Amino acid sequence: MSWPSFWLFAFVVAFLSFVLISLVIAVRGVGEIRELFRALEEERGRRTS
Amino acid sequence: VSTGGIATSFSLLDGSIAALSLAATLWAGLRVKRYIGTIESYLVASRGMGLYVGAASLLSTEVGIITFMYQAQLGFVAGFSAFVVGLITLAVCLLVGRTGFVITRLREMQILTVPEYFERRYGRGVRVLAGVLMALGGSLNLGIFPIIEARFLAIVTGIPSRYLGWTMAALLLVALAYTALGGMVSLIVTNYVQYVLLAAGTVAVTLVCLPEVGWGAMVGAVEGHMGGHGFDPVADLGAGFILWQVLLWIALMTVWQSVAMRTFSTRDAAVGRKMFTLTGFLFLGRALIPMAWGIAALAFFWARAEPVAAPAGATPGAQIESLDARLDETFREDLDAGRLQRALPEVDLLERLAREEKARSPEAARLEASARDRRGEIGLLAMPWMLAATLPTGLLGLVVAGMLAASISTYAGYFLGWSSIIAQDVVAPMLSGGTFVGAVPRKASELTGPYASPTHPGVSSPDGAALPGHTRLFLTRVTVVALTAFLMVWSLVYDLPGPAYFYLQVTANLFMAPTLVAVVGGLYWRRASAFGAALSFVLGAGASLAYLVPWLELGVATAGNLSWALAVAGFVAGSVLSPSRGAEARA
Repeated sequence: MSWPSFWLFAFVVAFLSFVLISLVIAVRGVGEIRELFRALEEERGRRTS
Repeated sequence: VSTGGIATSFSLLDGSIAALSLAATLWAGLRVKRYIGTIESYLVASRGMGLYVGAASLLSTEVGIITFMYQAQLGFVAGFSAFVVGLITLAVCLLVGRTGFVITRLREMQILTVPEYFERRYGRGVRVLAGVLMALGGSLNLGIFPIIEARFLAIVTGIPSRYLGWTMAALLLVALAYTALGGMVSLIVTNYVQYVLLAAGTVAVTLVCLPEVGWGAMVGAVEGHMGGHGFDPVADLGAGFILWQVLLWIALMTVWQSVAMRTFSTRDAAVGRKMFTLTGFLFLGRALIPMAWGIAALAFFWARAEPVAAPAGATPGAQIESLDARLDETFREDLDAGRLQRALPEVDLLERLAREEKARSPEAARLEASARDRRGEIGLLAMPWMLAATLPTGLLGLVVAGMLAASISTYAGYFLGWSSIIAQDVVAPMLSGGTFVGAVPRKASELTGPYASPTHPGVSSPDGAALPGHTRLFLTRVTVVALTAFLMVWSLVYDLPGPAYFYLQVTANLFMAPTLVAVVGGLYWRRASAFGAALSFVLGAGASLAYLVPWLELGVATAGNLSWALAVAGFVAGSVLSPSRGAEARA
């Protein structure tokens, strides 16, 4: 494999994985933030009680 | 692109998109401040961060406009060889993620900052020494971000230079507002929004600019204008550079405070490990995508290059001097107007002529180096000028919104990271007084006695008892404000003497090598001692500063590798000469 082909392959892998993982983060992140808020709310409740 | 320069198509619509994204970020960041009540919720979000928001937070903190700029610059000057840095980053992330090297043990100890580990392992003196070096290097490192990023915004948005200072101040104040009030919780929420924006902007730029130039043209530009270089990283950058990058990235992924804080904020060590495995591929994109933009910019401006003839002169030396004098008159103006199609061939010609002549003339050698610096300057601004020339109205707003999101998330993450070290590891230990000398714990299960805490069984910060939590929280918030003020002043008064990349590396090198050496030694070597750790910091930082001594003529990679070698040598020698008391007791 020549250097230009190798770097093209590396770039395609980098770009596609960036797009795919970003999509997964965008979708799954919302649920995780809700979960974090719930945990923080519980902690706040414990602190104030 | 005309001979008059480049005019951006940034419009009111673009400005509105960017302003709206800033307002949404600020709103989201401020909304969560009610959750902050303890220092632990403020600095590590009560350790409740999940995998995907963790990955978003890590990436958006470590990607700013400055990241896009220096990566594109590296692609512009080194061609495809620069991509090796991205491959190294991926390999290091996978190594850390799969093995849990350093991060698992640090996460299990439930610490808030990396120097806090030093107090537990070596004593308060090492914590404060490390804290001072990290705070100094980190703050100076952050100090040039606004200077560089302002240039990007000026080019892409066309903001007049007299308003740039105010624009940057407004960005810093947005980051300050939600970081000071909401700490890590605000960061996690805003980082998520910012990541989505920056990812959208990154994809948009790639899909517009790369097809505009074409991959074949990029390969052709590297083949045609880099003198046979630009593809083989070992031949172009050298094995020393690659070794140094490997070490640097291991340190960045394990003990760089803003990264380590994400590790400390995860729900548990397993989530931390998965986060690094996942972000490895994002870090690959963080390097390769903007580097490809830089190469695209190289091809873009070479394709439009104006023919340049060697100036008249009786001798090659006279020709070179005449060309240099011409560049002195036009270079700055060309750079500021985006006339890179004129500046680039002239700089290229000067560099070639000077290279041919340098064996006979020291002046030619100086001018060759000067031409190289100018090529680097063009490389820094070529990508933003290409964006200004190619992106249409509307899309430009989305890209600027993404870039601003990247930038503010980096400011916010670094504000919290470096201010936590200043407050927790420099100021608080001094205010609380006394010196803690404990056992030699190497992992969470070994932490006993003064570390025991009802909230975190087996683990507690020794200075926690001396300074109440609310005082430490207040101290950290005050430090965030002070750091922002420093940044505003520093970016106004400091004039960057050379390439930004070198400045960033030298300031980071000040503490990176000894920090990793002292952490790894402390975790995995029983004989490691406070004297060894302190010696490692002194020698490692000294070697980095040697880069600034002109008569030593050290290259940045040599100074970097020397810093690592001396940090290891000092650590081993110091620990052998004066072993830790714990090791003696066990012996």
